[in-house]
Amino acid sequence: MARPHIEPFVELNEPFLKFDVGGFKGSHYKVLSLDTDTGACSLKVRFDGGYKRKPGLHYSDLEVFVLNGEIKVGDQVWREGHYAMVPAGYALGAISVPKGAEALLYFNDSEPHFEESGDSHELTLKEAFKSLNSYEDMPWGPGNLVTPSVATGCLIKVLHYDPLTEALSFLYCMTPEFAQDNISYHDSAEESYHIWGTSWMMQFGELPTGGYFWRPAYINHGAFRCKLGTIAFGRTDSKLHNYFHYNPWTNPKQNLLRAAAQVYRQRPLLYQWQASDGHNHPHGPPDFQYPGYYEKNPNIRALHGHFGGESDERDSRDAPMKLPKKKAKAKK
Amino acid sequence: MAKARAKAKAKRVQDLKPPRAADAAAWFKENIALQKKRYAAIVKEQNGLERDRQKWYANFLRIIQTKGFNANGDLRVKIPANLIPKKPKGRSRVVF
Repeated sequence: MARPHIEPFVELNEPFLKFDVGGFKGSHYKVLSLDTDTGACSLKVRFDGGYKRKPGLHYSDLEVFVLNGEIKVGDQVWREGHYAMVPAGYALGAISVPKGAEALLYFNDSEPHFEESGDSHELTLKEAFKSLNSYEDMPWGPGNLVTPSVATGCLIKVLHYDPLTEALSFLYCMTPEFAQDNISYHDSAEESYHIWGTSWMMQFGELPTGGYFWRPAYINHGAFRCKLGTIAFGRTDSKLHNYFHYNPWTNPKQNLLRAAAQVYRQRPLLYQWQASDGHNHPHGPPDFQYPGYYEKNPNIRALHGHFGGESDERDSRDAPMKLPKKKAKAKK
Repeated sequence: MAKARAKAKAKRVQDLKPPRAADAAAWFKENIALQKKRYAAIVKEQNGLERDRQKWYANFLRIIQTKGFNANGDLRVKIPANLIPKKPKGRSRVVF
């Protein structure tokens, strides 16, 4: 089932556990969220003073965000605010933590593991390695990275962008008295850790310092408020698109159908090819915000002949979405 | 030979990950169980917020009719009363 919806989770209220997995002995951890199929996970790790590790690699992409302390990695020193994207198979230099440090570790593909090695794997995407101090090496940019966008007062630094999936890792802040009066959801899962500050979301209440969420796609969140300001580290697992609306009671299935309805309206040929192949259902999925959309369209009326019937009603309930059947291969 | 064949077929380093070691498997199992408990605690806590949440929803529905709804960035659109959604029957759910 991949990762469950973990929101909100305030990790500061939880104890660290001893990390007894190879490569991590001498550190402690808290799981923020865990993919129960693959082992991919988001962790907060406390490296005790004196922690050391030889050079080596992971068979998973790894992202690191240093919360406090100093971590020596090869000839670099990673301090508070340091971000690193370590592609799978990339050999990191020897690690030592003289006085202790805390960091967020994100294993994107599988559970934590380690293989001692001075050399990177031959298939490693070495050019994907990134290492910078997000506090010092980048300016804040406006949050209108995507349209429709967040309100003024939400600023962002994009630290990593995956060109294939358009997944993002970013630092963001909300200025004092930030407010945004809409309900949002995305096609992507979204994850955040509050480095400092408290913000409020209409569904979940306040998320303070040390607050975390892993939110699967299509789940309502917002309206938003932030009284004194917040700085946080966030990620998505694919393209971030803001779907805004004002119905607090919709469920993820209804939100998904509304997203698909947007594709239908905005890229109808793509939609037809993807969704209607073998289905012979020329209108798009029901959209709770525009319930009469198909009914008013005379072309669809002529083609399809029914609206609001039992089959349309059934589509909007919280049931698993049926995938289009594959066409049987034609026999020669 | 089998290893070499697997290597030649693989396109990503991730595909060549060795089988899960015993310590990693134990860690995985333990943390799946802990996460289940954490999820249940979150659901319980969030269910306890229901009364407050209905007040927050009512306030939100008032704001979008007066100050407006953030349609895109700072662009606000006032929503007329006849388009304001009504609470469906039953308990609302926020954690899925």
